[in-house]
Amino acid sequence: METIDITGGVPLGQAARKMPVAGDEGRRKKRRGQGKGRPVDPVALEEVRALLGDEPRRRDLLIEHLHKIQDRYRAISAAHLNALAEEMRLAPAEVFEVATFYHHFDVVKDGEAAPPAVTVRVCDGLSCEMAGAQNLLAMLRNGGYGEGVRVITAPCVGRCDTAPVAVVNQNPLDHATVADVDAALESKALTAAVPAYTGYDAYVAGGGYALLKACVAGERTADDVIATMENAGLRGLGGAGFPAGRKWKIVRSESAPRLMAVNIDEGEPGTFKDRFYLERDPHRFLEGMLIAAWAVGIAEIYVYLRDEYAAARAILTAEIAALQAHAPVPLPPIHLRRGAGAYICGEESAMIESIEGKKGMPRLRPPYVAQVGVFGRPTLEHNMETLYWVREIVERGAEWFASQGRNGRKGLRSFSVSGRVQKPGVHLAPAGITIRELIDEYAGGMLPGHTFYGYFPGGASGGILPASMDDIPLDFDTLNKYGCFIGSAAIIVLSDKDTAKSAALNMLRFFHDESCGQCTPCRVGTAKAVALMERGDWDKELLTDLSTVMMDASICGLGQAAPNPYLCVYKYFPHEVS
Amino acid sequence: MAIAPQRLKSSATNGAARVNFTLNGTPVAAQPDETILQAADRHGIEIPRLCYKDGYRPDGNCRVCMVEIEGERVLAPSCCRMPSEGMNVNSTGERATKSQKMVTELLLTDMPGQTTSPYKRASELDVWAGKLGVAAARYPQREQWAPDLSHPAMSVNLDACIQCGRCVRACREEQVNDVIGYAWRGEHAKIVFDFDDPMGVSSCVACGECVQACPTGALAPANGVALIEPDKKVDSACPYCGVGCLLTYNIKDEKIIYVEGRDGPANASRLCVKGRFGFDYVHNPKRLTKPMIRKEGVAKTSALLDPDDMWTAFREATWEEALDLAGGKLRAIREQRGPKGLAGFGSAKGSNEEAYLFQKLVRTGFGTNNVDH
Repeated sequence: METIDITGGVPLGQAARKMPVAGDEGRRKKRRGQGKGRPVDPVALEEVRALLGDEPRRRDLLIEHLHKIQDRYRAISAAHLNALAEEMRLAPAEVFEVATFYHHFDVVKDGEAAPPAVTVRVCDGLSCEMAGAQNLLAMLRNGGYGEGVRVITAPCVGRCDTAPVAVVNQNPLDHATVADVDAALESKALTAAVPAYTGYDAYVAGGGYALLKACVAGERTADDVIATMENAGLRGLGGAGFPAGRKWKIVRSESAPRLMAVNIDEGEPGTFKDRFYLERDPHRFLEGMLIAAWAVGIAEIYVYLRDEYAAARAILTAEIAALQAHAPVPLPPIHLRRGAGAYICGEESAMIESIEGKKGMPRLRPPYVAQVGVFGRPTLEHNMETLYWVREIVERGAEWFASQGRNGRKGLRSFSVSGRVQKPGVHLAPAGITIRELIDEYAGGMLPGHTFYGYFPGGASGGILPASMDDIPLDFDTLNKYGCFIGSAAIIVLSDKDTAKSAALNMLRFFHDESCGQCTPCRVGTAKAVALMERGDWDKELLTDLSTVMMDASICGLGQAAPNPYLCVYKYFPHEVS
Repeated sequence: MAIAPQRLKSSATNGAARVNFTLNGTPVAAQPDETILQAADRHGIEIPRLCYKDGYRPDGNCRVCMVEIEGERVLAPSCCRMPSEGMNVNSTGERATKSQKMVTELLLTDMPGQTTSPYKRASELDVWAGKLGVAAARYPQREQWAPDLSHPAMSVNLDACIQCGRCVRACREEQVNDVIGYAWRGEHAKIVFDFDDPMGVSSCVACGECVQACPTGALAPANGVALIEPDKKVDSACPYCGVGCLLTYNIKDEKIIYVEGRDGPANASRLCVKGRFGFDYVHNPKRLTKPMIRKEGVAKTSALLDPDDMWTAFREATWEEALDLAGGKLRAIREQRGPKGLAGFGSAKGSNEEAYLFQKLVRTGFGTNNVDH
């Protein structure tokens, strides 16, 4: 389906013709027996049935099925959407609200033109913007590609170390230039290249899955493994930092069936560590996942991968199949679910909603997902990297992991470093390392001509700190007293060529775009914050009042943390706003 | 999605223990199935609420009912939160009030003209803004949606929408019509009908539950009638079918201007299109309001009678005369042709009691079991 003609576009199936809405010609003329609303187009229904094949029509597969239509027709027409609703026995409104929630679905209403066959997405995340994304975007928009190509912006695509990045359909171009985009369009390179990685055989040859087998064979007990995890002090690496071993214990004490949800919706701007590991050693993660499932007694596993990671999706699809074909132990069912372009689905309960085929709107807690998670069952939810470390920690012992660390902190952290440094990338470094040490020892120092000015210690949400505060150990808890947090350990380094003020605006625009729209403080607050910040002359009183209600009254972490960037500007970069 | 606290109002009062907690410094006891907000209501402590509607699943999205719970990092929505034993809750302290006011201000900011709702008297947002002392909106306003006046009975003015989702719950969970959705996301998240269709051509069945649910008048009965102050309200039962839905007629200048569902055992404040919007017949000049008897010598005809010219064929009668005449003729048929000469068709609008009486008449009076409606 990627070998489509990029000049002429692709028709939206035969069913794309305008469907009459009942009542178009006057409600009173309607014949008896004909329902209100849209009639289902028989052609569209056949097309949808053909795409779905014999797959179940269960509600939780709605997003998967929407992907099938989007992939095939490069858009989702109202006729197809209506047919899908009919086929899945769902109300049209429910299907419509889910389809329009996710950025990667192009819903085409009656009479609207279909989008071009090719979409070039230019990442406008902070790291890409610092590397000239706006310039690239402007040049591409003036590129004269005609009607077969559209150029739009995309939130952080998780390749900040190779900024700026453009994605042509599903083909990400690192250090993208106009020439790169031209070449990709010319050669119709529209899918992601899969990098070389350790496949199933190589992983097993290197001793992989021996630990899992030993666990299942009873050579190790779940209590011992959980104790090892607790003693190692491994904490959730998605951002919240909940101790992994304790989480296993809590979920294990809940009633069966217990489910597991793996969060690979890595969307925090500046973060790309999960992709880094997935594209190198996927089975190390899968083994960790299965050990956790064994220790906790998990009935089924849902793996939720962000849609932007097409190469990782190809890898996981192939490797889960290989694993199932040569199962080292009896495996629980593993479901790989595909996100659809929504940062909020990285929030644990929003991800569960999405797994259930709904809009990614966070749930209110309590109840916590450990008690009421996927399909209302107790759920063990983990970030992918947390599970990636399980095998090594259990094999090498808690002591090994806990003995790492610096400046009084314990363990290892995978820092996603980007911005004005010589060697951006994932750097595995001791927890507690300072930003100065990280830049100098791991990231090759600052770029020539750039002086260290400030840094984001934890992605978009974790705040901004000035260069003068370069001696803080980077770890969970250590940044809280500064109004910051480490989150997913995404470090974006700013130089004297940048301002914290414009970096903060970039982040607030991101939050504004990605707010789910459920609660007032976040939905309205992010919009008002951007409007105020775009004025240039920031109104401190209004922004401060906004931050209070956003932090105190938002449902989830997105809204609660969204004011952090501008609050840090006031706190640590006052010269920029005075 | 919020996990719904129990809908039944006090089903669990027997046996289960009450929950003792502190609200604004005063010890209070909650029923085991009560949220903080419900317990506060029962103790006469008023907490603002917008997305909350009594009887509906609380959703906790508007965040105007936030309260401070001792020991918790952030505020909690009192409409969704169950108190626990010993909990210390504050709904009027500085921190809670700040958020309550800010939420109100932000919503007021995006109302047309940044002021009171132009579509409804006493919009709930305006009421709470008044109580909380939120007067001015200081923030820049959002881009507004265009009005949708495609439906003959209801107007849609989303510039007054506060995205509380009460209409979605009304349509999806209360009436199970599933026409209204909440589409797109963030600031652009919008209340839609089917595929964002005009309401008038959507699959809406016009039950009007959403209009009754809307706190601001963004969804309102058509033609601005929700802005008219009624002279009186008349509690009644719906005259259409036998279900017996309770309702309230809002009367202005001796005319019904709009109808609201009233909490009755059969309808829990819900109505259908007929009960809510089908009241214009009441004031129709052609409506039959008194008994009439065909004049002597006027022949029966299958042609439709001209309602404006009824009096050439009919004359006014008393109930006694009309009933005597009808009863006499029915008796004559029975005597002439026996019970098989008669059958009874009652009205679907009759109440259960009326239906009973009718079949009694047919079975005992006519002597036949041929009765239906």
